[in-house]
Amino acid sequence: MTAEYRAGGTDLMERRASGRSTGHIIDLYDQGLRSIEPTPDGGFRIGAMVTVDTLATDPVLAKAYPALSKTAGSLATPQIRRAATVGGVLLQKTRCRYYRNEHYECLKTGGTGCPARDNPGERAVVLDVGPCVAPHPSSVALAMLIYDAVAEVDRSPSRRVADLYSDGARDHLLEDGELLTAITLPPPVEGERAGYKRAISRASAEWPLAEAVAHLTVRDGVIIRAGVAVGGVAAVPLRLAGVEQALTGQPPSEELFTRSLDWTAAFPETAYKIPLAETLIRDVLTQAL
Amino acid sequence: MRLTFNGGSREHDPAPDDTAAEVIRTAFGATGTKVSCGAGVCGACTILVDGEPKVSCLLPAAHLDGTSVTTVEGIGGDHPVQRAFVELDALQCGFCTPGFVTEATAFHDRWREDREGVPSREEVADALSGHLCRCGAYENILTAVQKACAGAFDDREPIPARVEAPDKVTGAAEYTVDVTLENMLHGAIVRSSQPHARVTFELPEDSVRLLEGDIVRYTGQPIAAVAAGTLEEARKIAHALKISYEPLPSVVDPDEARRPDAPVIFDQNERKNAPSSAEGAGFPARWKGNVRSGYPSAWRGRTARKRLDAARERNAPGYFAATFTTAGQSHTALEPHASVADWRADGLTLYTSTQGLGHIKAAVAKRWSPPKVEVIARHVGGGFGAKLSLGTDAVAAIELSRKTGHPVKVEMSRAEELTDTGYRPGTRTELRMLGTPTGGLAAISLDVAGHGGVSTGSMVATLGLMMYGRGPRHFRDRDIIGNAPPASPFRGPGGPPFAWAVEQGVDEIAHRLGADPLKLRRTWDGNLRRRALYEIAEELPLWRERPIGAQTGRFRRGVGVAAANWIYTADVDTKIEITVRDGRIVARTATQDIGTGVRTVIRNAIRDVFDDAEIVVELGHSGAPHGPVAGGSRSTASVGPAARDAARKLADHLDGKPVSEAEGVTVVGQRPKDKGGSAVPVSMDHMRIGRGLAGAVHMTEVEVDTLLGHTRVLKVWGGIAVGTVYSRQTARNQCEGGIVQGIGYALYEERITDPRTGVVLSANLEDYRLPGIKDTPEMTIHFHEDGWDHVPGGGIGLGEVCTISVAASVANAVFNATGFRPLDLPIRPDRLLEGMPR
Ligand SMILES: Cc1cc2nc3c(=O)[nH]c(=O)nc-3n(C[C@H](O)[C@H](O)[C@H](O)COP(=O)(O)OP(=O)(O)OC[C@H]3O[C@@H](n4cnc5c(N)ncnc54)[C@H](O)[C@@H]3O)c2cc1C
Ligand code: SF4
Ligand code: FES
Ligand code: FES
Repeated sequence: MTAEYRAGGTDLMERRASGRSTGHIIDLYDQGLRSIEPTPDGGFRIGAMVTVDTLATDPVLAKAYPALSKTAGSLATPQIRRAATVGGVLLQKTRCRYYRNEHYECLKTGGTGCPARDNPGERAVVLDVGPCVAPHPSSVALAMLIYDAVAEVDRSPSRRVADLYSDGARDHLLEDGELLTAITLPPPVEGERAGYKRAISRASAEWPLAEAVAHLTVRDGVIIRAGVAVGGVAAVPLRLAGVEQALTGQPPSEELFTRSLDWTAAFPETAYKIPLAETLIRDVLTQAL
Repeated sequence: MRLTFNGGSREHDPAPDDTAAEVIRTAFGATGTKVSCGAGVCGACTILVDGEPKVSCLLPAAHLDGTSVTTVEGIGGDHPVQRAFVELDALQCGFCTPGFVTEATAFHDRWREDREGVPSREEVADALSGHLCRCGAYENILTAVQKACAGAFDDREPIPARVEAPDKVTGAAEYTVDVTLENMLHGAIVRSSQPHARVTFELPEDSVRLLEGDIVRYTGQPIAAVAAGTLEEARKIAHALKISYEPLPSVVDPDEARRPDAPVIFDQNERKNAPSSAEGAGFPARWKGNVRSGYPSAWRGRTARKRLDAARERNAPGYFAATFTTAGQSHTALEPHASVADWRADGLTLYTSTQGLGHIKAAVAKRWSPPKVEVIARHVGGGFGAKLSLGTDAVAAIELSRKTGHPVKVEMSRAEELTDTGYRPGTRTELRMLGTPTGGLAAISLDVAGHGGVSTGSMVATLGLMMYGRGPRHFRDRDIIGNAPPASPFRGPGGPPFAWAVEQGVDEIAHRLGADPLKLRRTWDGNLRRRALYEIAEELPLWRERPIGAQTGRFRRGVGVAAANWIYTADVDTKIEITVRDGRIVARTATQDIGTGVRTVIRNAIRDVFDDAEIVVELGHSGAPHGPVAGGSRSTASVGPAARDAARKLADHLDGKPVSEAEGVTVVGQRPKDKGGSAVPVSMDHMRIGRGLAGAVHMTEVEVDTLLGHTRVLKVWGGIAVGTVYSRQTARNQCEGGIVQGIGYALYEERITDPRTGVVLSANLEDYRLPGIKDTPEMTIHFHEDGWDHVPGGGIGLGEVCTISVAASVANAVFNATGFRPLDLPIRPDRLLEGMPR
């Protein structure tokens, strides 16, 4: 790797210390990118250096994109959220315990193979979409997906946030040296409500075993728009278009929110994540009602 | 860059990879800000950047340019939050305190600006959720912040709950990691990257060999140590040092290691070199391959086994047999192991983060025979048993200092700390038990395999000799040796895994017999002190209103109990020296305060005699008269009586005159003997086992989310029977910390070792999960103070007994709530979801 951008540094500095990142650093600290501006169509453009804490606490954003704000407010710790940025939270590297351990090399460190496959443990993915079996780390990406957010990149055309991620071989698809400058969100939808929840063993400040986020807009007793995504289950942030479709046009009910996922677990150790994800989906939809 | 630092202006030119924490601690010399996890998890390094709390260990130093930074030193000492921490005892070892104080002052100031009244516990916990306290002082932290926000400390000086609290809330308290000497070098450890191999290597300049022999037996084993001007440089050299490995067959996983065809890790003549995780001398044992079996300790052992076999045959209702397992538990003191050695022609000065400076001094004198040894540990950021003996840090620092002629500092990184500074061994327990509702425990047998990597000395089953009367019993402890790092003593060695199996066994039998688990224990248990606790516990509303029978619904509540006991030990040679200096009473002894409040015990004991004198307690220096090791819960029962004896001697000398009349006078107090002598009439390393057992009963209420597998501990009642309590506030704090640690053990903490490579995967605080402030239940501590009249001072220590039965009480509560018997610790969500009856 030649160079790496540094935003809040909360992911990068840990990898610098462990030797995972060794290239040159380009600091974004004094590059601006911190503004939140309304767009002509009524949406918002959020600079890449806006902090996760701002996503969580800014009253305008909280009202416009409640699913985003709830997700941002639930991750990591208050101190981390104050330093972490929109760019960093979307483009952070995997937290796989093998990747973060200096004793191992794997696909994502530039080597070959995946030591985690032999000993996946209860934290690994349920859905084996690619060579890597560590869940994608970004909680905020989930919320961005269900808002159809668009990423602005300095050297190439804008693309959907969904297209920042691929098949699980890389944590994101930006090329070396490409700079994410902002995220644009389409106009907020009047009357939308949202829910976010993660399954963890402690009460807080813990990486999720699985997490889910949803927004719902109900008009005249019928769901007219739904967004649902789950994390902790695949090497990419996963939007559940099928579930969204099944919800749309229906009157909300507990029965409707009880979705069964027709997944096959990649490992016996992670089979429990399927009912876990089903519960989380029901919970966040209920919250969003 | 240019910034405002604690009010003054500073310029500094940081390297790109420098963190704010490094610059603040090293270049600015402000060591109040602590670094513990280095990964954004623990919050010890929290600073205010333009008023916003941020973790400085991940904050690039360059980002401080143009900001105004405030560290704990910049807060002063009179902030209401600091005052509240001091008076309400919101700390123990104090290593997490600067971080908590810094964050809490920001919360407080914001709160007072826009809100009125008292913030809720939830609000405070949310604000502080990015901080960990391994001592578990959360309850008092929550209260302190609430009271400060309510204005209770706006305009008055606090009355310190513990002697050194003012130093700990201002960052003035100096820990070993804060020590910097002139011309000091930094050392780094070269460690094995293979689980089992023969190694050859050549040492560069300024380095020393640490490995004895040429075989490494676990990944992470120290091989050599190197010194350089900065830690970064030293680590670079260590990393670059070429080690040639000739791999030997290895086996990490205990289930594989116990097989007859597994590669043997210690051959016959090497066995004696295996390290031990036992606190005292190990017991004799037989080896077979990697299995080291102790001789059974039994009482009518054959009868026990016959009864159990017969009960199994006839499906007796009071018979229960199961296999329990526990994960290894890492001590994770927030201050890592660290030493600074200064070897000179006239002697050695060793600053070290230790629980036993007298012991270290003796060990150093024996190993290196320097002309003179001084060991210094002014403040120690937690130990929990991991800092009892001479560790790699001290050995490396001493050797490197001797070799280079410079003072050398060696400090473990969090990964090293979580890999190779010991842990409570994992266990696998075969339990068989036969109970009768009225007649007592008819028979019990326990076969426990300890998984302590290359170390021996797991002692769990043998503790059964102390519990539940005199029924027939058969116990055996084994060690399964594997290519993994060695274990070490951990707060109540053997106790928590023992309780995990046996206390769940008692609960299960009560369930099967339809008996009340507390009443059953009272019937079985001959111990008077614990019986007194059962009687109180039976009357608690928590118990009387507990749910009985199967529950439905997603969220289920349950209440469980478990009991524990622990031996009483004291350092019978403890001396406290008192000198009157500048009109003040200055007390000294060669011990250290690891957060248990020893200073305060000494002060209180003296204050009982001199209630209005100014008392100073000087600890942490090996030159003082002999004092106890902070282990085996012995400090209180050792220093308390000796301090009182010294105070009485001074009072006799004064004969009614004021203290100032005795300027310059020195007296030495000794610990009087127990009435009726001790249980074992010989001392081992100054320590004697006294008569009587400390007792504890824990009652825990949980709520289980049966769909997410999440267990929340709502309430814990802890009944503790250790006689007179010397310092109620610090004792309660320690008991609450014992509960928090027990909850961590039951639900979150799990040492994970890769079965192939022997690499410890839980080597950071994200993957090794400590209980946080939001996991803190409502706690009530009850002290039963009778029954220790034979001990001078009337009371003994509680540091271990107060944590042993907690995890088992959580498990029993989970069973009560869900009908799922958690055999495997920790009770992870996936295990709950898979195990719960549907
Ligand atoms: C204890 C803890 C718990 C956590 N829990 C969660 C969690 O539950 N969910 C979650 O999502 N996250 C979690 N995180 C991770 C955290 O969200 C990330 O560390 C953070 O968001 C990264 O943001 P940053 O600005 O600090 O990025 P940096 O560390 O500065 O950068 C991260 C990566 O992104 C790249 N990058 C950053 N900005 C840009 C840009 N504008 N253009 C191109 N590349 C860029 C960098 O080059 C780097 O590779 C946790 C972190 C910690 C320490
Ligand atoms: S799971 Fe992914 S990050 Fe982890 S070792 Fe495998 S390839 Fe590397
Ligand atoms: S040391 Fe910075 S968060 Fe733990
Ligand atoms: S007082 Fe918090 S870690 Fe010791």
